[in-house]
Amino acid sequence: MYPEIVREHFTHPKNVGKIKNPTVTGSYSMPNLAKAIFYFLIEGGVVKDIKYQIAGCPFAIAVCSILSEYAKGKNVKELKNIKLETLEQFFEIPEEKEECINLSLKAFLDGVKNA
Amino acid sequence: MRVYLDNAASTKMDKRVIDAMIPFFLEKYAVPSSQFTHTYGLEVKDAVDEARASFVERIGGKHPEEIIFTSGGTEANNLAVKGVAYANMDKGKHLITTQVEHNSVLNSFRRLEEEGFEVSYLPVNENGIVDMDVLTRCIKKETALISVQYGNHETGTVQDIREIAKLSKEKGILFHTDAAIAWPYLPIDAYNWGIDLITLSPHKFYGPKGIGILFVKKGTKIKKVLDGGFNEFNLRPGTENTPAIIGAKKAAEIFSKEDVDRILLLKKRLIRGIETTIKHVEYNGSKEHSLPHIANLTFKYIEGEAISLRLDFEGIAVITGSACYSKNLQASYILLAMGKNHEQAHGSIRFSLSKYNTEEEIDYTIQKTGEVVSDLRKLSPLGREDEE
Repeated sequence: MYPEIVREHFTHPKNVGKIKNPTVTGSYSMPNLAKAIFYFLIEGGVVKDIKYQIAGCPFAIAVCSILSEYAKGKNVKELKNIKLETLEQFFEIPEEKEECINLSLKAFLDGVKNA
Repeated sequence: MRVYLDNAASTKMDKRVIDAMIPFFLEKYAVPSSQFTHTYGLEVKDAVDEARASFVERIGGKHPEEIIFTSGGTEANNLAVKGVAYANMDKGKHLITTQVEHNSVLNSFRRLEEEGFEVSYLPVNENGIVDMDVLTRCIKKETALISVQYGNHETGTVQDIREIAKLSKEKGILFHTDAAIAWPYLPIDAYNWGIDLITLSPHKFYGPKGIGILFVKKGTKIKKVLDGGFNEFNLRPGTENTPAIIGAKKAAEIFSKEDVDRILLLKKRLIRGIETTIKHVEYNGSKEHSLPHIANLTFKYIEGEAISLRLDFEGIAVITGSACYSKNLQASYILLAMGKNHEQAHGSIRFSLSKYNTEEEIDYTIQKTGEVVSDLRKLSPLGREDEE
């Protein structure tokens, strides 16, 4: 049920936490409590550092971690085009988990849209 | 260490149950309804009759034919609810149940609603208990059936079915209780308590899957809901699952009160251990009126599927009432009916114990739950105010 990459990032999530003086932040909440916050440090249009906090299910946690690794060193303009389908390069998206994955993705995109 | 704490879903069969069943696969495999044509069938019929008599005695019935064997608790509940509703339409088409029943009860009532019956779904209080005054107010002269579970499969909360049975009797209404998760952990006494129909589920007490039992008090008007032959006193057609019937009988016979006492101590050890070592934990349900083997706890600020998966990595099997985990993406309807908010349902975990669990397993579970909850809370943006 859980792809290997999801299990790995869920068990050992990378880049967890906050950035003290972030360039931008992005967040998204669901009515059931689930919430994700991303913190971006951007220099010259490039993501220098990224961290996040997440209260969510294994997929939501793993996607935060995968997105944080993906975004590091990338141009913000490029990141604005990320969609749910973009994540398919990492794992097959189960339909019943789209909502959970979108929690993390929407918080991420909420941050990059303001960058 | 591997720790199975999902015994409310199903239990490990007792080896003695399997031993009792084996002859009914290899030697006594004829069907009991062949009693009039050959000895093979008669032997099996005798064994099935003994099983019926054994169950009748254990639950306070009077006549062996009051025991109807079905394919499981779900089918027993379907037969009880729909069978009584269809057979008693002359009395009325109003039925009463609760918002916290098992899906096999709730969805049977929903089907009847589609067919023109009127159903009152009783609310419960914050502990999951039905208010007798509300129940009394719901009763109409057209009410044909009241169905209230004995114990709740998710929270372990126990209803006062003796009082409900008494009220039903006073009002002349048939009373069914789904005791699938409760019996034999708690006793039941059909005639003395005034219960007309009882659902039992042997795989919840170390018996086999594929067998359910519906007690139907003699004289109760009920209509069969599956069409076929005349088996089970013309109430449940289909070839009897004789190995499972014999296994169910054995499981009930060897079920021990001492085991229940020990399970209850383990449950208390688990709750105390978690509540004293982990902050921001809420107990869901009634601690006082509770099944001895089920505890439901909410770990605030984190999500239940994440907790259960991390516990699974540690070898511990539990389930959650979180929406993320459920197939319909809805949080536990039982916790929501108890007035819990989505946030409380989100981080809920059900621990359900068996006679096979040990103190070492419980202590390991307390320790690992503490580690997992702490790890996940480090990720969470919620509830950090008092930690910073």
